[in-house]
Amino acid sequence: MHVLLVEDDALVASGIVTGLKLHGLTIDHVNCASLADTALKSSYFDVCILDLGLPDEDGISLLHRWRDQGQQLPILVLTARDALSHRITGLLGGADDYLIKPFDLLELQARLHVLTRRLAGRSKDFVEHGGLVFCASTGEVRLHGHPVSLARRELALLRALLQNPQAILSTEQLCDSVYGYEQSLESNAINVHVYHLRRKLGNNIVETVRGLGYRLGLPEKLDPL
Amino acid sequence: MSLRIRLLLIIGLGLSVLWTVVAGWMFLDARQSLRDALDNRLAASARMVAGMVAQMPEPAYLAADDSRKPFDVIARDGVACEVSLLRSQITAQAIVRTSGGPDLTHAISGFGTHMYGKKRWRTYMLRQGNIQIATADSMDTREALIKELALSAGVPFLVALFGSLIMLWFCITHGIAPLERIRDILAKRKPGDDSPLAPIKAPIELQPLLNTIEQLLERLQAAILRERRFTDNAAHELRTPLTGIKTHIQVAGLAAELPDENKTLKAALDKADHGVLQLQSILDRLLNLARLDDDALHAESSDPREVAYAAREQFQASYPDLENRIFIKEEGAISCVNVARPLLLSATQNLIDNALRYTPYDKPVIVHVKQPDSRRVRISVLDEGPGLNAHDRAQAVNRFWRRDRTIPGSGLGLSIVEAIARRHDGTFKLLDREGPGLEARLEFPV
Repeated sequence: MHVLLVEDDALVASGIVTGLKLHGLTIDHVNCASLADTALKSSYFDVCILDLGLPDEDGISLLHRWRDQGQQLPILVLTARDALSHRITGLLGGADDYLIKPFDLLELQARLHVLTRRLAGRSKDFVEHGGLVFCASTGEVRLHGHPVSLARRELALLRALLQNPQAILSTEQLCDSVYGYEQSLESNAINVHVYHLRRKLGNNIVETVRGLGYRLGLPEKLDPL
Repeated sequence: MSLRIRLLLIIGLGLSVLWTVVAGWMFLDARQSLRDALDNRLAASARMVAGMVAQMPEPAYLAADDSRKPFDVIARDGVACEVSLLRSQITAQAIVRTSGGPDLTHAISGFGTHMYGKKRWRTYMLRQGNIQIATADSMDTREALIKELALSAGVPFLVALFGSLIMLWFCITHGIAPLERIRDILAKRKPGDDSPLAPIKAPIELQPLLNTIEQLLERLQAAILRERRFTDNAAHELRTPLTGIKTHIQVAGLAAELPDENKTLKAALDKADHGVLQLQSILDRLLNLARLDDDALHAESSDPREVAYAAREQFQASYPDLENRIFIKEEGAISCVNVARPLLLSATQNLIDNALRYTPYDKPVIVHVKQPDSRRVRISVLDEGPGLNAHDRAQAVNRFWRRDRTIPGSGLGLSIVEAIARRHDGTFKLLDREGPGLEARLEFPV
């Protein structure tokens, strides 16, 4: 899951970034509204954590602006203002969820999963695909009931593919989801992860659409012993 | 008590007392006139009978003996009449009397009131030669007449009085209707409603009241808004470091469970520690402010020049790269001020700190100490930063107000300076400089 964090306080931002990375999420951090605009234009994100107290623009007005521009990205608002009126204004202004500082990192992570799950139209925390079961919050993967150990990047790649089961995802999109935009990476980085996924979950789990990118395929069938 | 009942009681009681007094007065007047008229009738009747008796030839019975009964005549209008023959100066013998009338032979001359046969009579007696003529009215008849008079005037009066009270009720209700409308509108207003008052149809006398209410609501709204902004800012300033601490502690917890994340664990703990320091500094400043508000002042004096140099030294000791950026300018002789040295030092340091935060690195900050007149000492801190507009200058002393949240700070520095100035009868002003930047001017009485 590729998360955009818009937070002006460096201390809070570094905590969230490190914490979510430890949970296997890919996260990019910007500290003001103008950089958030640029980030949204240049990269693909699954969810956004937005702090309302930004230095260059009020978070609520940024939210309004994004929704007016037709931005569909699920947004979790983070704020120190706990008055009921603020929360209502935020939710009516287009926020999908609201968390008041100080919050629990585990709760933040759980809420991010709920937001992306809802966007994918699921009501359960795990995705079933063929014989594959993927638990979104813990990152646990089972193939026909047997646990499969995946590295962090492989997990992020699988998450991105399962999040959009019908869509063809370009290499850039997958790069965004796996690495975020801050890391420079080698051109075949995604290929390596695709190779590992195929090795662990079956050759057809990732379909290559020539010239366009990749699409989710079916996992390996159970061996009829 | 409602205004309506109050008005009704005051006006109603006033009207009732006034009209009752007038009615009583009119009644007494009318009763006296009636009595006078009836007395006049008695006297006129007596004189008429006297005239008739004088023209008549002397009848034979005048010579008759004492034992004869008087001759009865029929009278009209209830007036009794008696004609008597005077035998001597004190004894009289009735010769003609109204049938059923009382014996009036002993009536006093002129008007009088007598009891005859258990009834009270009003009498008039006239003597003409040896003839005595007396006329009388039954007092009961007179009282009945007066009662009738009182009744015929009193009933319409009472009806009119009650009628006017009812009318008064309606008039007052109608008259205070604009007040009721204002009350309704104010009662229906929800707390926190910041819309202006809806236009109310009210007479011009009420307009000042309406204007006052409107101004009061506006002031109240502004105060609520200020309060809300303060709590928002305070929540932000206090919760942000707390969030940082909590998040990093949780990160440390997570990292401790994972292999090869020792570096992350250590970094998280360092950051949490940094957050604790940040929070501690805010809490210290808040406590300082609270002490400034509550503590009694100690009579202490300090030298502003010495304090300015001490402040510069402390900055230069903490930040060696600041060398030569803080200039101190003294002008003329400068007296001591009645401010405890630590407080004056804290105020000066806060001002310099603030100026340094907003001034570009290659520009100086000037501390200007002078005595504009014999009564005050002025410490001005001049910077070449972006300055503040008039609105921000007014806001800047509010607790937790920060113009730019990307620049570290707590938003309490200027509040502390302002509180120190206020506690020592001094003034603190933020002024626009002619060139770029801001002048923070602190003045204390000598």
